[in-house]
Amino acid sequence: MELLKVHNLKKTFPKTKVTAVDGVDFSIFKGEVLGLVGESGCGKSTLARSILRLTDVQEGSVFYKEEDLLKMPQGKMREIRKSLQVIFQDPYMSLDPRMRIGSIIEEVLLIHSDISKIERKNKVIELLEMVGLGGSYIQRLPRELSGGERQRIGIARSLATGPEFIICDEPISSLDISIQAQILNLLLDLKKKNNLTYLFISHDLGVIASICDRVIVMQSGRFVETGSCEEIFKASKHEYTRQLLKSTLICNYNSIIV
Amino acid sequence: MLLEIRDLKVNYNVDGHPVEVVRGLDLDIKKGECIGLVGESGCGKTTVGLSITRLIPEQKGGIASGRILLEDRDILSLDSEGLRKIRGKRISYVFQEPFSSLNPVFTIYEQLKEALPKEVDARQSIPEALNNVGLGNIVGKEKLYPHELSGGMQQRVMIAMAIISRPDLLILDEPTTALDVTVQSQILELIMGLKNRMDLAILFISHDLRIIFKFADRVNVMYAGRIVEVGPKEKIFSHRAHPYTRGLVDSIPSFEHRKKRFNAIEGRTPLFSDLPKGCKFHPRCRFKVDRCVDREPDLQELSSGHFSRCIRAKELMSNGAIKST
Repeated sequence: MELLKVHNLKKTFPKTKVTAVDGVDFSIFKGEVLGLVGESGCGKSTLARSILRLTDVQEGSVFYKEEDLLKMPQGKMREIRKSLQVIFQDPYMSLDPRMRIGSIIEEVLLIHSDISKIERKNKVIELLEMVGLGGSYIQRLPRELSGGERQRIGIARSLATGPEFIICDEPISSLDISIQAQILNLLLDLKKKNNLTYLFISHDLGVIASICDRVIVMQSGRFVETGSCEEIFKASKHEYTRQLLKSTLICNYNSIIV
Repeated sequence: MLLEIRDLKVNYNVDGHPVEVVRGLDLDIKKGECIGLVGESGCGKTTVGLSITRLIPEQKGGIASGRILLEDRDILSLDSEGLRKIRGKRISYVFQEPFSSLNPVFTIYEQLKEALPKEVDARQSIPEALNNVGLGNIVGKEKLYPHELSGGMQQRVMIAMAIISRPDLLILDEPTTALDVTVQSQILELIMGLKNRMDLAILFISHDLRIIFKFADRVNVMYAGRIVEVGPKEKIFSHRAHPYTRGLVDSIPSFEHRKKRFNAIEGRTPLFSDLPKGCKFHPRCRFKVDRCVDREPDLQELSSGHFSRCIRAKELMSNGAIKST
């Protein structure tokens, strides 16, 4: 089932006249992990932001449940944002350094729900447990947490509204490899448990390979290749994809082939 | 041997108290060899790199004891004049973020010139260094500032600065972590090309075993301020004789292991002010037994040049499917 259908999406930055997203079409199906891979500056984050209307676009449509998100009035869009969430790259930048962890998560509940204070507190604890932390983190400040723990807070915050779709925008690229594996495990577990759909953005094909069902390869605002994970990794058709594959450090379990 | 580190101990001041962050570390680097030093953030690997030319800021802490021999001369006993002759000349560094390492208000040329010894002719050396790092296209552009270059080009400039005085040892601390994969692979190729051409020894510091396995001749795995496994990379890769090394290898994302949960290392690195008893890795270890809490194991030699700091190392090696706890 199509969850989101994006048609001819186009975004040009007015000052620089850079067309970051140049008329792309694609669908995201319920329950899948769709990978979006490309180098810095190819437009992948702009595409993600455009889908959620975090930035204005010039042309195109994004259909969710038979309604165009791009034409939706603000009030209704706000309601819909509960279902469509995002996890950002840098867990150091995306948490307010002066707020305690409990308040950071509770803020989302304050905005998006009208549950009582006690219910909110219980929900915060439940969310912290869901991401493998727990109630002891409520009083702590972001600076007391490691990078991996901070990203777990980012994930807890995006889960707070009970979404069905999450855009993961390079959620692990600033973390150690060992912590990346922990966070990928968490994302896979949460997906299964909460029936989630992900758009997973990364520049690392190894990471894309390990968790995605389908992959889009993006270059200069356009899609150069789309296919199942097998197609992209075992039989890529486009030269650019092959180039990306060649520069990815891929370690095979049975030998040190890189 | 080009560089020998023996029983290095480094203390940092935490809230006015000394805390040991490198807890007795040995490391050898031969001439022309690439040594990998791998471990998670906060294991002390950057501190080891900085110790080699005594670059740890005084207010932060300092080297408590040990020896660092550069061809039999102890760096730790040098005066500031002696250090000046080594830093940037015999041993140089490339750090993670090129933009914060370059000075934004000076041109690339000025900064390269600064890295040169006075007696060397800059007009000849700078173009040569730029050509060496694949920046032939900016030769002669003396007015160029760091912000006008991409991240990859900035890192090439940093490498040019590091090799311009033809050092014996290059210390690379996560040199490609801030870069895209395509740029990363270009930079890594560049470094390895230079290593072979200039007969450089390299200490490659990274959290990413993929890079280390690709480039290092020997691998040192570091945890909580000490080496826990060391050996030639083939032995490390095929035996993984320490549970921590296993965890790091199992964390590598790949097509072959797709959509399965990773056998990841749970938890986080311990704080140096609050290290566990016994083996420092035991709280996160899936092979731990009661004995692990008793005392911290020594490095034991498993085969020539291959050491592990785990009491179950031999079991781990003989049986890949050793029962985890």
